[in-house]
Amino acid sequence: MRAGAGHRGVAGSLRRAGLWALLAAVGVLYAAPLAWMVGVSLRSAEDAAAPGGGLLPRVRGVEGVEGVEGEGGLGAYARGVAAQGAANYGEVWSSPLADFPLYLKNSLVVTILSVAGAVVSSAIVAYGFGRLRWRGREAVFVVLLATLMIPQAVVVAPQYVLFKWLGWIGTFAPLWAPMWFGGAFSIFLLRQYYLTIPRELDEAARLDGCSHAGVFWRIILPLSGPALAAVAVLQFAACWNDFLGPMLFLNHQDDRTLAVGLHMYLTQHGGTPWNLVMAFSVMVVAPVVAVYVLARRFFVEGVGTEGLRE
Amino acid sequence: MSPGARDVLRGVAWISPWLVGFAVFTLGPAVLSAALSFCDYGLLDSAVWVGLDNYRELWGDPMFRVALRNTLVYASASAVLGAAVTLGVALLLERGLQGAALVRAIVFLPTLVPVVSACVCWMWLLNGRFGLVNQVLGWAGVEGPNWLGDARWAMGSLVVMSAWTIGGPVLVLGAAIRNVPRALYEAADLDGATGLRRFGAVTLPMVSPAVLFNGVMSVIWSLQVFGPPFIMTKGGPENATQVYAVYVYQNAFVYGRMGYACALAWVHVLATLVLTLGLLWVGKRVVYARGA
Amino acid sequence: MSAGAAEVTRRAFLGALAAAGVGYAAWPRKPRGREGVPAGRVVIEYWEKWTGIEGEALQAVVDRFNAMQDRIWVRRTAVSEILSKALVAIGGGDPPDVVGLFSFSVPQFAETRAAWPMEELEADFDGGKGVGVGAIDRGAYAPAVLRLLSHGGKQWAGVSSMYNLALYYNRAMFRAKGLDPDRPPRTVGELDEMAARLEERGPDGRVRVAGFSPRLPEWWPYFWPVMFGGRLYDAEGDRAVLTDEATVAAYSWVQATARRVGVEDGRDFAASFSRSFHSPQDPFISGKAAMIVQGPWIANFIARYSPGLDYGAAPVPVAEGLYDPDQPRGMLEADVLMVPRGCRHPAEAYAFVRWMQSREAQEDLARRHGKGSPLREVSPGFRAGHPNRVVAVHDAITASPAVLVLPQTRAWQAYADLMNGMFDAVWRGADVRRALGDVERRAQGLLDQAARLRAKRGGAGGGA
Repeated sequence: MRAGAGHRGVAGSLRRAGLWALLAAVGVLYAAPLAWMVGVSLRSAEDAAAPGGGLLPRVRGVEGVEGVEGEGGLGAYARGVAAQGAANYGEVWSSPLADFPLYLKNSLVVTILSVAGAVVSSAIVAYGFGRLRWRGREAVFVVLLATLMIPQAVVVAPQYVLFKWLGWIGTFAPLWAPMWFGGAFSIFLLRQYYLTIPRELDEAARLDGCSHAGVFWRIILPLSGPALAAVAVLQFAACWNDFLGPMLFLNHQDDRTLAVGLHMYLTQHGGTPWNLVMAFSVMVVAPVVAVYVLARRFFVEGVGTEGLRE
Repeated sequence: MSPGARDVLRGVAWISPWLVGFAVFTLGPAVLSAALSFCDYGLLDSAVWVGLDNYRELWGDPMFRVALRNTLVYASASAVLGAAVTLGVALLLERGLQGAALVRAIVFLPTLVPVVSACVCWMWLLNGRFGLVNQVLGWAGVEGPNWLGDARWAMGSLVVMSAWTIGGPVLVLGAAIRNVPRALYEAADLDGATGLRRFGAVTLPMVSPAVLFNGVMSVIWSLQVFGPPFIMTKGGPENATQVYAVYVYQNAFVYGRMGYACALAWVHVLATLVLTLGLLWVGKRVVYARGA
Repeated sequence: MSAGAAEVTRRAFLGALAAAGVGYAAWPRKPRGREGVPAGRVVIEYWEKWTGIEGEALQAVVDRFNAMQDRIWVRRTAVSEILSKALVAIGGGDPPDVVGLFSFSVPQFAETRAAWPMEELEADFDGGKGVGVGAIDRGAYAPAVLRLLSHGGKQWAGVSSMYNLALYYNRAMFRAKGLDPDRPPRTVGELDEMAARLEERGPDGRVRVAGFSPRLPEWWPYFWPVMFGGRLYDAEGDRAVLTDEATVAAYSWVQATARRVGVEDGRDFAASFSRSFHSPQDPFISGKAAMIVQGPWIANFIARYSPGLDYGAAPVPVAEGLYDPDQPRGMLEADVLMVPRGCRHPAEAYAFVRWMQSREAQEDLARRHGKGSPLREVSPGFRAGHPNRVVAVHDAITASPAVLVLPQTRAWQAYADLMNGMFDAVWRGADVRRALGDVERRAQGLLDQAARLRAKRGGAGGGA
């Protein structure tokens, strides 16, 4: 679409302004739940559970904090909110109910192993699908795509039986080991990206006597940075956020990941401590957001969709 | 060995990690699941063959029908809503407006949020007493219901929530919109087409493959939805949000009836397959295919 | 140039973040729960469902056990979805040493031999001073409780706490409406009358304060037959019993209540409390419901959130002709402790379970939870100063011959969930007999299936 479309005088400018307002509205709507989450994480316990909460956190007489509503102006309010936030986040970090630092470590271990596995194995397998020509390739690729259609519900129960037979229940293995065998979506993404790399480079190298492994290592891989980054980010998010897997396959309290820990907080009796739940939630979301923000440039490039035309 | 066979061997060697993984983690469990669907298996002791009993029971199980109906309703509603919102947002983002990059990032962010966090967020937003939604409605003088606790609104709330995570489809559609050849727009301009006609004659047909792709993925995914109904409403209130995946989970891991759960799961696969093929068939007729 | 510089710093930052992540992941970390365990003890894992103040109460009791002997250390973990987690863990071959489940779990775990019968663990175990050895004294339990813990002639679990349901009522509200606070309703008719008087409606005609709602709390849609003499399950014949006159009367009464209060209004009112139970916004604690069927733990939460609440309790009202002050009716359930097969330290687990059955442990936990004791005899000091001022009511129900025990069958979970759907249908006006018949048929199918499997496997664990 041309950037100047609709730029015809007053009507055009008005239209543009209207569209811009719409864009802003979309941005606000989509950011609102997350912003609200941060907001609640800064409230005190009573404020979080009280009806008629209002938009901004209220600063009450929290233990040790003297900020009272209406007194002292913006500075005191800011300090009060900061103190409440620190109290909430601190309580989540040191809570005896959920060992946050440990769950963080567990999530990191599982995620790092998964991401490493996914990137390595998907890159290799995608080469087989995208760069080599062999009879039956397309048929097998269709099967690969078809596996995206299999509902998790079908496989999770017998996968449990499989892992039990392997003796993996109660370890982290069920969560990261399957990633080392290539994930269908990652393979698809990488294959599409490989298709955009000119074949002349391959052919030139092969003429020079380079083996396929050499071509992969020296030519394809270095040029696939964006796609690999995309796979890494998507796999990171998928793993970090996985709930059903850890809930089913991890038995010990010490092995819990963050997603399961958050669920524990949520399912307490005696009312849900929303401010703590939100603080926990923010701490779980923050790393993924950070990674995404930093890797965004790579990531958008990597999801090239030219190959979508069948 | 012929060069063709050598190529096949090499190809298979390169994709062997996936082949092994597929066989062990997908095909194997799928076959096991099929076998277990003819058994009664309680997790705690060995399986007992019961033949077609599970399937017979499934046929007469009212909860099966409720779960299936709820899931189909959810899938179709969220697919339609998702497609409409995705199209609108993607078009808006490709207009070259200032700040579009930021909004694109914001729209994508929810897909990176853990399911539990997203559910927690939305449970708070939709809370009947102090949720943001009801507060805003309160300013407009409307008393909002207890969204997740009211059987009439619970499923609708989940459908609306599903429109929050359209980041992936927006990305795909955005790329497709960007790839529409300029020449076509110029030709349309020469013909005097403006605005809506331009959209209908040029943009929509050219991005229809992407729309179909998004639609199919969205249907497949939402037929499997588990997180929000399980975490936010536990299948309630009054079974309004009892979706298929939650029912399968309950049978497998709460009632200890894994055999029956596997039978349910295979019916689910069948339904997904039928729906997907149907969508693709319709798609072939409606979607504009570039080139051969 | 600046774009390139930004790129470099971005990559550097990303790299640093990744390195920090890997470093944090690789750094060895001792779980918080394992800190402070004295050396030389056998650590056993105990999974229990309670969190919040009830969890803390249990922890105090566990701390006592840990302090009074030097061989075993019990590590309690609060677990959500404990039933399915237990199934998954035991099925996966990696269970905890002690797991706190429900009385209706006993048949399931017994028949599939997923837990150890207490008899088989009674080998001599020398736990050091204070732990004790030998069999659990089965005569010490109240008879109804022992029924809950047994299956097929063996005892499969110890009790962790026991409770039954009674009618709690707000005495201040009674007084305000001119009712005698010492005369709670005895029959269903009186209940309806008093509920109508206690109900308050807002200017829009919607309920603001409920006299009594069978929708509050939403957890036991299967309870109401108790008031009319129904029993849900015939253990001898292994039959689901839902279409007898008593049960039909019970759900017809529910339907009549729905009509009187207003079907939609009643639903909306109950739904507004869906996540607030046992919090300051609990319907009974916040004075929005004058009478409610609840368990003894509510006293604990009242003491915490609304200590000034003037409450009383009585056995649930019953249908005309069933009232007998010496045989109050109610429903008895228990939280039980089981030792899963395949756990690492069954002997030590048994030692802990055995100590939990002792009078000192049970009375301590019961007092902290506001519950009555599951044992036949209680110490003289138990009732005096008990945090639940109406615990005597619960004790009377426990001892009553007319008390109903939750159906002891492995199909109970599914059966109970079916009742959920049926309750809603009846509330909305479905034909009571037909709705009950449907559920009965389906529940019977589940029971028959369980029986067939029992036969195939060669009898329940332990015979009979």
